[in-house]
Amino acid sequence: MGKAKIKLDKDLMDKVKKYAELSGYSSPEEFVIHCLEKEISQLDESDSEEEIKKKLKGLGYIS
Amino acid sequence: MDRREFLKKALAAGSILAFGKGSDLITRVYGKTDTQKKVIVLGLDGLDPHLLSVWMERGKLPSFRRLRSQGVFKRLQTSNPPQSPVAWANFITGMDSGGHGLFDFLHRHPETYIPSSSSAETSEVGKTLSFGNYVFPLSGGKVNNLIKGKTFWQHLEDHNIPATVFKIPSNYPPVPTKLRTLSGMGTPDILGSPGIFNYFTTEPTEIKEDIGGGRIHEVYVVGNTTEAALPGPVNAFKKDRPESGIDFKVFIDPVHPVAKIVIQDHELILKQGEWSGWKRVHFRMIPTQSVSGICNFYLKEARPGFKLYVSPINIDPANPALPISTPESYSKELEKRFGPFYTQGLPADTKALEHGILDDGEFLEQDDIVLKERLEMYEYELARFDSGLLFYYLSSADQRQHMFWRHIDKQSPSHDPLAASKYENTIENIYRVADQMVDKALQKADKNTVLIVLSDHGFSPFRRSFNVNSWLKENGYIRLINEWKQGEEAFFLNTDWSKTKAYAFGLNSLYINQQGREGEGIVPPGPGKEALVREIAHKLENYVDPKTGERPVLRAFVAKDIYHGSYTDEAPEIILGYNLGYRVSWATPLGRIPKEIIVDNEEKWSGDHCIAPEVVPGILFMNRKISSDSPALHDLTPTILKIFGIEKPQEMTGMPII
Repeated sequence: MGKAKIKLDKDLMDKVKKYAELSGYSSPEEFVIHCLEKEISQLDESDSEEEIKKKLKGLGYIS
Repeated sequence: MDRREFLKKALAAGSILAFGKGSDLITRVYGKTDTQKKVIVLGLDGLDPHLLSVWMERGKLPSFRRLRSQGVFKRLQTSNPPQSPVAWANFITGMDSGGHGLFDFLHRHPETYIPSSSSAETSEVGKTLSFGNYVFPLSGGKVNNLIKGKTFWQHLEDHNIPATVFKIPSNYPPVPTKLRTLSGMGTPDILGSPGIFNYFTTEPTEIKEDIGGGRIHEVYVVGNTTEAALPGPVNAFKKDRPESGIDFKVFIDPVHPVAKIVIQDHELILKQGEWSGWKRVHFRMIPTQSVSGICNFYLKEARPGFKLYVSPINIDPANPALPISTPESYSKELEKRFGPFYTQGLPADTKALEHGILDDGEFLEQDDIVLKERLEMYEYELARFDSGLLFYYLSSADQRQHMFWRHIDKQSPSHDPLAASKYENTIENIYRVADQMVDKALQKADKNTVLIVLSDHGFSPFRRSFNVNSWLKENGYIRLINEWKQGEEAFFLNTDWSKTKAYAFGLNSLYINQQGREGEGIVPPGPGKEALVREIAHKLENYVDPKTGERPVLRAFVAKDIYHGSYTDEAPEIILGYNLGYRVSWATPLGRIPKEIIVDNEEKWSGDHCIAPEVVPGILFMNRKISSDSPALHDLTPTILKIFGIEKPQEMTGMPII
């Protein structure tokens, strides 16, 4: 799998390092990957999956 | 088919609605007009034998006591697992899950691990014709009841015996019959969901964003007026399948806590704290087609904040968009006599109470509407019953026990002494209502009438919740893709299936990730798999809750040891029988894997029954002596047939008890 580098401002990079450590991530890279994956999954997730979740959650026994 | 295609197909199929169907005006009950023997069955969901005994001995349930004196009162063996759709399917077919194929509220598609309803499925519209932005179906979609085997009323019909079966669970859509049946638990709202309410408020931030079973809409009041739209079903006639909706306006009185709601041809004036009663609304799809639904508005607050609750939009019994009765005219007949009524399978809005949209008192007001409708129809059906069989069902005791157990259980994490002092008699009161129903049935029953009163299961406190998948992960049976994401995602999205051997799903089910069956299965079928099943079952039964010292799993049943019938191979490998006080966690049924294995259940949903069957037996009362000391739900089916002189069909595993 190919890897790509992304440039970040120093201020932002400092914050990334700080919060990665505070949140218990093993590296800033792991933290950034997690944040990006989370954001993308929200954009990428099909409406249909959301709709199925909502429909099933209407059952009192599950949440 | 990949996951995405599968989801698209599943949803396309979920929006099948009927438009402008022809009307069948025949309402008579088929079968003989006169049978010598008659049977009345009251199905009282969730009545618990322990509570009932206590209140009966204290003289609070005189009709149950009278019925016991005429015959028997026994604990009734429930199904495994003791979930209502499964339990009532045992009663309906006289078989266990291996015979009727329902194992849990939820099943999963093994290829994709995606959940689905166990009791009904909708197939997609076949050929379509596109014209501009519209798509016209040329062949219809279909909704299918997934229960296998023959129902007891179909056996009665074969012998020309009349029957009315009112709201029995696991009968959506109603199985084909000329007898009178109305579908019960499993019947969706107009969106195809178990029930999604709408809540319009100026203060949406006070509510958690993602609430199951409801949609929160932020509204703005400008000059004492607000506007919003009531969402409806997806418009399958349009190519991009947009959601339909009905715009409405609200005018808030500048002085008094009153509002006028204008929606289509209705003008509702509601005081704060007032319910509107049923209102019929029409969602327009194309100029000549619309879908009719019914809903009930509740003005929770007019000012300073504006808060309007709208019930799930129910299928209109006068013009049902989906099949809810046989003959089709039966629901219309009831509507004509009583007006619109709840057609949704589980109508008590437990989700609205759970999320604080309705408080305890408002929830009871809402469920009282359900109860009133049911009791009026009960009297009607009882009065005209003169031959064959009448089955009548009540859901309120079950739903109220789920939500109000915290008020009688001081050990419940959600017990609040102040609220308990106000609502501690709620459960007792619904048992008294059941007692009044028994009284009416006793008055109706002559010497030729066998009266059977049963519940499908009892009840138990739900104090601690077990994250089964977290336990599986901790014990090396589940591997995650990213450890740091544990707990965030549902649907097993963070699960590395290539290294996962087993997973828990639904409320009591545990499956092996089997090679050739699951989409990414790794465990080959055979002796190795069997040993794995026994190993997991053994470990689960021996796991101890570190906080209480108790075992959360009382029994881990291996499916092939307990089921009979040709669908046993479709069962989960293990059925989890939780101990008293425990239940599966809220995260497990849809595949979320939190970090903690056991947590307190702090929800209002504080009583449950989806545990080991021996902990939550149901009740059985009959005005006849019986021949069994430990009757089971599936024994009642051949018993009913025997009363009418029908021999037990070979496939039934139950045995007659008279």
